[in-house]
Amino acid sequence: MSERTIELYIGPQHPGSGHMRFDITLDGDIIVKAEPSIGYVHRSVEKIAETKTYIQIAPLVERPSLADTVNPNLGYILALEKLLGIEAPPRAQYLRTLAAEANRIHSHFYGIGILGIMLGSSTAFMWAFADREIMIELLQMLTGARITYSYVIPGGVRRDLPVGFKEAAEKALRYLERRLKDYEKLFFENPVTVARLKGVGVLKKEDAIALGIVGPNLRASGVHYDVRRIEPYAAYDDLDFEVVVKKEGDSYARLMARVEEIKQSMRIIRQVLEKIPDGPILHEKYYKMIPPKTRKQIEETGRLKFPAAFATLKPPKGEALSRVEGARGEFLYYVVSDGSPRPYRFRMVSPSFRNVWLFAHLLPGHRLADIPAIYGSIDYFPPCADR
Amino acid sequence: MQVSEIISWLINLLFYKPEVFCPIFYPGLVTILALLIFIIWLERKIAAKVQLRYGPLYVTRKAGGILQLLADLLRYMFQEPIIPKTVDKIAFIAGPVLLFATAYVPAALLPATAEFTGLRSELSLLAVLALLTLAPIFDIIIGWGSNNKFSLIGSMREGYIVMSYEIPMFLSTLAIAMVYGSLNIVEIVEMQSRCWGILLNPIAAATFLLVALISTARFPFEIAEAETEIVMGPYTEYSGILYGLLMGASYVKFYVLSMLFALLFLGGWHPSITWLEKIHPAAPGLVVFIKALIIMVFGIFLRAVYPRFRVDQAIRVGWHLLFMLSMLSIAYSLAVIWLVG
Repeated sequence: MSERTIELYIGPQHPGSGHMRFDITLDGDIIVKAEPSIGYVHRSVEKIAETKTYIQIAPLVERPSLADTVNPNLGYILALEKLLGIEAPPRAQYLRTLAAEANRIHSHFYGIGILGIMLGSSTAFMWAFADREIMIELLQMLTGARITYSYVIPGGVRRDLPVGFKEAAEKALRYLERRLKDYEKLFFENPVTVARLKGVGVLKKEDAIALGIVGPNLRASGVHYDVRRIEPYAAYDDLDFEVVVKKEGDSYARLMARVEEIKQSMRIIRQVLEKIPDGPILHEKYYKMIPPKTRKQIEETGRLKFPAAFATLKPPKGEALSRVEGARGEFLYYVVSDGSPRPYRFRMVSPSFRNVWLFAHLLPGHRLADIPAIYGSIDYFPPCADR
Repeated sequence: MQVSEIISWLINLLFYKPEVFCPIFYPGLVTILALLIFIIWLERKIAAKVQLRYGPLYVTRKAGGILQLLADLLRYMFQEPIIPKTVDKIAFIAGPVLLFATAYVPAALLPATAEFTGLRSELSLLAVLALLTLAPIFDIIIGWGSNNKFSLIGSMREGYIVMSYEIPMFLSTLAIAMVYGSLNIVEIVEMQSRCWGILLNPIAAATFLLVALISTARFPFEIAEAETEIVMGPYTEYSGILYGLLMGASYVKFYVLSMLFALLFLGGWHPSITWLEKIHPAAPGLVVFIKALIIMVFGIFLRAVYPRFRVDQAIRVGWHLLFMLSMLSIAYSLAVIWLVG
């Protein structure tokens, strides 16, 4: 450390740091070196998973990532289904897609809100967190929970579409479309927002690939990569949507990539509600295990009662790998089964963990005031990285 | 008889002597404290309205929570001001007090009406301007005295911003003074009975308004206290009444600048309402206050609209835009003088 520079520790108790610390070396107002220091909210999800039965892991994997819960849930269940050698019926696949996209929308609103408050726009923050509620309410109607849904279960989903869902969803989507125009006027095209984000934190295409960046951050740097397209899961193969790609790679492109993705997710939800096939919501292998009396009740209410077999799921010996495209990027699961009711090894790679290195890569050369701008534009979430 | 004489002498001194009334009541301390409570409440209420919230509500629910700020003020009063061991004690304690005082003193020199004014001087405008430049020094002192990196960075930012807005502030004010050929605020207002300053030199008015926003840390120039970057800037280590003084100081300065804007550019107490004089000699000055209040409401509304600029962008606004505009306003004034005479 020379006499010209000062070291600044931002976080973990700092209004702009989140649950992590940045070790910043400053030369005047310019950042020379930035090191993200993570692990403050490590909860040891992988180790805990080895002590739990397979069905208990479903709610566990949702916990790290508060804003985006359907996708980690879905990713784990996909790996489990590979181990079990089953596949959900088509209606369940569509419902999974519906929940995942509704979750993507409210997660992106969360990210936009955080970026807003980091730039000092309290209005963008309040608006985004209020409008996030629209999709939370919709998912509550579908799943019964607000944030941690545990909606996806081995072989299907927990609940069928409730009565009046289609109308409620259409109303919510139309409201959000109208609101996005307000956001454009107040926040996205606000000259101050543009001045703060355009050309700040430029991530080149080659660097994005070399660093292994995922999600909207990767696509905002011009890489056409989306797990939903490359390895389609759930019902994405039947649906028509665009993978949002931006060339610029700066913070503004990352923000706008999220905004475009919200619009694409709305398109997907509309298609799902139009195309959704009739049929069961649980794989017939498990559906047969439910007593006939309960089965009748399920058909009437559309709410599943778990078959007793779920308590002691014993996948055959083997290993499975699954990937899903979460709101912040790709979730990867690797599950090894030794034939017992608990996994032998459980590996979860979250998108924030892969994106955290962006701080060390993007911050040097920028000004101290650019930290919140870049932080917000990455949509980074420390608990998601720490797991 | 003796007692009633003393009371009437006291009332006469307090309420009818402009040298006492102006600093203490209007446009001085009492007005400022009442305004602080009102304007911060209004700021929170307006922001809440835009952001689909209620804002302050539970203190005096029927009046929309207007006494919330009074409750906050009392809390600040009785809260323990924590003084860390590592700070420079004298600078740490004296800084906020002097900052508030120097922000307030220019208000005492502003005239209420043509006859009723605390300071009678041919150079009253210069005196107000000179006192306005005192306050930022204490911002830098408390940042240094706090012995905290975030405070230091915050006060350095404040220093850079002060340097970039002060010259445009002086030039734009002097531009309007040139048009009227006087440095006496009362004279300038009297000459505006026919034509407001904002019409005579709109460039100077625009520059002055922008300077007022920058110098009092209104959005989008809330840079020295940028929360997500440097916690609370120079005020990071403060708590209790000392923090309350610091928070109040920027609003007081905004009030002084708004009053000055109303006096120099918006015709001051013109159109004058003469029947108000029967109530109190300072009462016609309310016109100035209402004009200043409108400016302040505009300033606080910006919080709901804008994010904040980066410090280098704000300095660029100061030197590239405001400095040029203020030079232009001088040229404009010269042209007006040459054309109209």
